[in-house]
Amino acid sequence: MTSTVEKTTRAATAPAAPPSRLRRTVRTSEFTLATLAVIGFVALTLTTDGNMLSAGTLAAFFRFLAVPMIIGLAQMVVLAIGQMNLSVGVLTGFCAMVAAWAMLEAGLPAPLAVLAALLLGAAVGLGNGLLVVFTRINAFIVTLATMTIIDGLRYGVNGPGTYQDYSAGLEELGQASLLGLPVVFLIACAVAAMVWFFFARTVPGRHLLASGGSPFAARLSGVSNDRSIVLAHALSGLLAGVAAVLTLAQSGSVNATIGDDLLLPSFAAPIIGGVALAGGVVSVLGTSLAAFIVRLVDVAQAQFAINRRWVDLIVGAVVLGVVLSGAIRAKLSRRSS
Amino acid sequence: MKQEETTPEQRPPARLPLWANPRIGLVVLLIALIALFTTLRPAFLNTQLTLVPMQADISVYAVVGLSQLAVLSLGHMNMAVGRMAAMSAFASGLLHDRLDAPLLVALAGGLAVGALLGALAGLVISRTGVNSFVVTLALDFALIGLVSLLYATFTDGVAFNGLPAGMSALRTDTFADYCAGDVCGPEIPLLAPIALIAVLGVGLLFRWSRVGREVLMTGANAKAAELSGIPVRWRVVQAHALSGLLAGLAGFLLSANNGSFSAGVGDGFLLPSFLAPVLGGTLLVGGAVSVLGTVLGTAITQVIYKGLNLLQFQVDELKLYIGLVLLAALSLDRLRHVLAERRGVPA
Repeated sequence: MTSTVEKTTRAATAPAAPPSRLRRTVRTSEFTLATLAVIGFVALTLTTDGNMLSAGTLAAFFRFLAVPMIIGLAQMVVLAIGQMNLSVGVLTGFCAMVAAWAMLEAGLPAPLAVLAALLLGAAVGLGNGLLVVFTRINAFIVTLATMTIIDGLRYGVNGPGTYQDYSAGLEELGQASLLGLPVVFLIACAVAAMVWFFFARTVPGRHLLASGGSPFAARLSGVSNDRSIVLAHALSGLLAGVAAVLTLAQSGSVNATIGDDLLLPSFAAPIIGGVALAGGVVSVLGTSLAAFIVRLVDVAQAQFAINRRWVDLIVGAVVLGVVLSGAIRAKLSRRSS
Repeated sequence: MKQEETTPEQRPPARLPLWANPRIGLVVLLIALIALFTTLRPAFLNTQLTLVPMQADISVYAVVGLSQLAVLSLGHMNMAVGRMAAMSAFASGLLHDRLDAPLLVALAGGLAVGALLGALAGLVISRTGVNSFVVTLALDFALIGLVSLLYATFTDGVAFNGLPAGMSALRTDTFADYCAGDVCGPEIPLLAPIALIAVLGVGLLFRWSRVGREVLMTGANAKAAELSGIPVRWRVVQAHALSGLLAGLAGFLLSANNGSFSAGVGDGFLLPSFLAPVLGGTLLVGGAVSVLGTVLGTAITQVIYKGLNLLQFQVDELKLYIGLVLLAALSLDRLRHVLAERRGVPA
């Protein structure tokens, strides 16, 4: 699911005789990640005597993969234009709290509350984008400020209290399975497919990548960079809203700490997945696979009862390792050409 | 920040008119905030209750801001400030706990660990050319895990029990407790001069020293700096080492303020570390820093925190207003910039 911008640039820089399709596939970072994911999964299955493949463990594995995947994509959309969104984590929490409040206190039916969460996410994202465009302040700083504001708002919904039993239907959805896979995970996959379609096949998606790759060239080609920026931030907010809905469905109770632990993983997934911070390159598949690998580390921790803190250490080492190997590979290929 | 009314004088364009100096705006804002909080709650000027703790907080967070400023000068970021502070505090605690090191040795050890971690980040960034955000983020991840594991291994919880002799004095005493005859010092906590040394040191470094100027030139244009014979890679390592060193110092100051070396030191450093320099007018693109602005930015943030705290605002509202103030201040600054540009003044 790599965006074709990446593929075409690669093809352009390739030597006169283009390598076969197979070799090109093998060389992509997605292929490396997929191999890593499979190896990790098999290794984990073997070392736990097949415990990984038991229905319960497998379902839990995929159920808790959904949110990290979507949050990674929410960050990726903004990285595509070379910016960052620090507010994704708290926004997810805020949307979840507001939707729970709408169901419990305002008496809204679940579908409307879900819609409200999505709209709220998109609206806040839109606000981020407009602020970036109109003030011309670095998106990092703008979202740092909105992160602080949303953090306050998120706590303001219900203080330190917890919301639970908000909707039997939604919680049922969170536990339901289809063909052995949790429904929340399937929803996440469907959303990921839509994001891929947006970047690969739609005009606004291509414009967005063009703006990210080279704002100057994009402007000369008649692409509105401002529109791309606003769109990217709005989409990022919308995806945070999706993550909020999935959180509501799978956890069964929400409080003001939801989303606190999502900010760093939101960067880890796209970066491991091969998304450039400079913008112009996205990889939906890479981001999803990276989230999968991080989840593997998580499960390994639970299976072997390792100190929770090793996970952070390992994820940090993996991010650094991936980045370094990418830099070294680029250096080697430059030297050989 | 004020823009209009004061008509710009006919000066040579090299000199900024008063209204275009962002620092003046910050001072005005600071005075306005203090006046506002004092009218609402006269207790705001109570020495023991407010002013002394506030000075201690400003001391800690000014150093945190400087730690970020050290790499912002390059156009880099240090996402691991908090964890570098935590590692440094751990090293200090361990030195005291196991080797019974005195205060200064423990401090020196902690600072060395901070500087080494910073240098490590700088080395990776300069060798590979990978974005500093990614490298320090990954380092932060790794250190979060490492700090907890180390505390779990070397202590029976999340903090060291003892403190080096003299460290609790840093926490509780002000200069008013030390008298020469009848003359006592002012009500300033003992932490303040340490932070002041850091502020002066960083200010002098970036204004007068060769290394500091070359770091700024690297930040403004790395290619041009390299072509001018500046050892760009080495300067990147040095700037990051300085950031780590200052993070370590901030960790020490906070530990002194809290009264223990604990794993939680540095948890809340990331946001203030950006808040202070950015409010103070340091750009993220590199090449220019404002040390005085950073101190003012820290002071404003802490005054808002303390003031809203006294007015019995909830934690959530505090955060809300800090965020809004940041947005408003930056937008005003942007407005000032645009106005200045329109009048042909380089701001």
